[in-house]
Amino acid sequence: MDLELNDIQQELASTLSKYLRSEYDAAKREEILRSEEGISREKWQAFAEMGLLGLAVPESYGGADMTFNEVAVVAEAFGRSLVLEPFLATAVLGTNAVLLAGSEEQKQAILPGVCEGQTFLAVAMLEPNLRYAVEAPETTATAAADGGVTLSGEKNNVLGGDVADHFVVTAVENGDLGLYLVAADAEGLTRVAQRQADGLGNANLRLENTPAQRLDAADAREVLTEVIDLGNAAIMAEAVGALEASLTMTADYLKTREQFGAPIGVNQALQHRAADLYAELEYARSMALYSRLAVTSEAVGAEKDRHRDVIAAKIVVDQAARNISQESIQMHGGIGMTMEYPIGHYAKRLTVMTRTFDDADSLTAELAELGGLVEPHAADLS
Amino acid sequence: MDTLLNAEEREFAQQMRQFYRTEIPEELRFKVATGQELSKDEMVTSQRILNQHGYAVPNWPVEWGGQDWTPVQRHIWLEEMQLACVPQPLPFNVSMVGPVIATFGSQELKERFLPATANIDIWWSQGFSEPNAGSDLASLKTSAVRDGDKYIVNGQKTWTTLGQYGDWMFNLVRTDPNVKKQAGISFLLIDMKSPGVTVRPIQLIDGGHEVNEVFFDNVEVPVENLVGEENKGWTYAKFLLGNERTGIARIGGSKVNLARAKAYAAVTKTARGTLLDDPLFSARLTKIETELTALEMTQLRILSTQAAGSDKPDPRSSVLKLKGSQLQEDISELLVDVLGPQGLDFVDDRVQGQGLSDLPHGAVDALPAYFNTRKVTIYGGSSEVQRGIISKALLGL
Repeated sequence: MDLELNDIQQELASTLSKYLRSEYDAAKREEILRSEEGISREKWQAFAEMGLLGLAVPESYGGADMTFNEVAVVAEAFGRSLVLEPFLATAVLGTNAVLLAGSEEQKQAILPGVCEGQTFLAVAMLEPNLRYAVEAPETTATAAADGGVTLSGEKNNVLGGDVADHFVVTAVENGDLGLYLVAADAEGLTRVAQRQADGLGNANLRLENTPAQRLDAADAREVLTEVIDLGNAAIMAEAVGALEASLTMTADYLKTREQFGAPIGVNQALQHRAADLYAELEYARSMALYSRLAVTSEAVGAEKDRHRDVIAAKIVVDQAARNISQESIQMHGGIGMTMEYPIGHYAKRLTVMTRTFDDADSLTAELAELGGLVEPHAADLS
Repeated sequence: MDTLLNAEEREFAQQMRQFYRTEIPEELRFKVATGQELSKDEMVTSQRILNQHGYAVPNWPVEWGGQDWTPVQRHIWLEEMQLACVPQPLPFNVSMVGPVIATFGSQELKERFLPATANIDIWWSQGFSEPNAGSDLASLKTSAVRDGDKYIVNGQKTWTTLGQYGDWMFNLVRTDPNVKKQAGISFLLIDMKSPGVTVRPIQLIDGGHEVNEVFFDNVEVPVENLVGEENKGWTYAKFLLGNERTGIARIGGSKVNLARAKAYAAVTKTARGTLLDDPLFSARLTKIETELTALEMTQLRILSTQAAGSDKPDPRSSVLKLKGSQLQEDISELLVDVLGPQGLDFVDDRVQGQGLSDLPHGAVDALPAYFNTRKVTIYGGSSEVQRGIISKALLGL
């Protein structure tokens, strides 16, 4: 049994951390946050040159042909530094949607540009009347006379949609869920860019007979589930980075902030609550790993358990994110409430990211419906 | 978690699974699976079978019956044992006094005690806690005063688990009252049949007699019963308690209990279907299942670090104790809540007779187990002690 990072992953983690520490500190991040686009295309280009944007993409499409394990290493480092660029939207969600559902031609057309940092992607799956029920969109796809297809409907909270060059859009065609590729400059597409509370960008979209291409190399429902599973696994890795940074910052504050003539961390009330947060952090690390194992497993029949294991993991990570982000602010006191101090920014990222595709309640209900993780068994019942 | 194991580990797990299910009598395993109390004879029988096959004391040195296993193998040994509902070998013998004697005892003590301890020919009791030395164990007062070739022991121990069966007792005693409290403690073995030893039962809130208080009134103990050096007992105790913490999360046992509560819930009717379909109950159950998985993954991560070559004590094991004990309590509470009103009486048998219908499964043990399980967040370093360790060792507070 070996759950440690391998040498290549450790090297990736340490190189990236070093880069982010010097090139993505709080001041530089603040600058990006205040810029018009809210992201740095220069940094994105640097990520591309480091090979971060196509880690799990086959070489034939310009990627590094590695696995999601390396993607998770990057997500964790990005979480620690609260990176604002749309890594999740482009390199995880969009890339995997195209990889899993695109034709050879579509993959060749889209993915090399993504790996080179030239193309942003976004997956449009949420709708105003859906909350998290992404499998039943109201957006419709209609076959056009020229053999193509057009989409009509409304999408919201499209992560990375503010800068996306291509959208992967869910819609229903003749009663079946489908995935469609839509260019950002397509006719009949209206995009309203927004800024999330965590500083990341998204967009609401209106589609009116918007021309699209079908992404139908695989079953849309299965692809959508897998894309969300990968997205959630990436979110969990990112959350671990952010949680670790939050707790470290909070513990440091407890050691240095003095009141009544002593560091506030001498109070057992705070020590014990901080210890509980540490235990939650360990749980989050464990379950981020659990989800990573689930999405990378090549064991026979692993696909069946993948979705179940990812949502189980996310329930635990959501809880840790909630507790650690809330308690970090509380333990900092008034300073934790200020925009100037970094702890609140972690809380905002954690609060938003854990509610991106689902939340702890919706996942708990789904996991229960799937039968949970433990087979019922009692020796005296048979 | 089979998929995380390599081929040899998987084969080893299969071998243990097979062994436990074929060699340990089914009626014993059934009793454990359904929360029934085991007699002394049953516990002895089970441990002797394990010992015959070299599975009672794998954590000991090989020359004394231990196994040259990896941390992962030791984990599998314990996990599969709990999953098969095999009564665990007596912890006082196998994970407490045995390793201390094997590590710090003289050759004579090893020869005299270790084989009998592994085979449970001697039933050991633990003499650590005292009425005024609980979490602050080092403040213990039971004294041992050297008098020629013997010690004269006076004082009182408490919370002596299963002391009513005890043949021998390993004790922390104060041999020097004039130094820093940790520096005046020795580790002394006492024959419980010695004149002046009195064992009195303490009834617990579950109604059972699991623990005792033990009084020493001028008990004469030969000096050769001292383990290691005089006044070094605190070092040995810390070593012992470190061993106690591994496996204390009882993940296999929690899985069995959770599966049981879930099975009962599936056959428990409510006004709207079964209890398992009840949204609030199922949400609570599901959350506990995810936490149990998180606990298991945390244990596997710690194991993986050990397997990668680190044999340093890992303070993260305090997280296992803190979370694992809470989860045991949560699961015991779940079972009580499955039973509802019919789980609220202390009864000996679910068959009522006299034309009354049988009580539901679990009605006999759920509530006593719930009350008994309150102990797990108290013993082995209470949750508060664990939080103290975590905040100091892991957060630097």
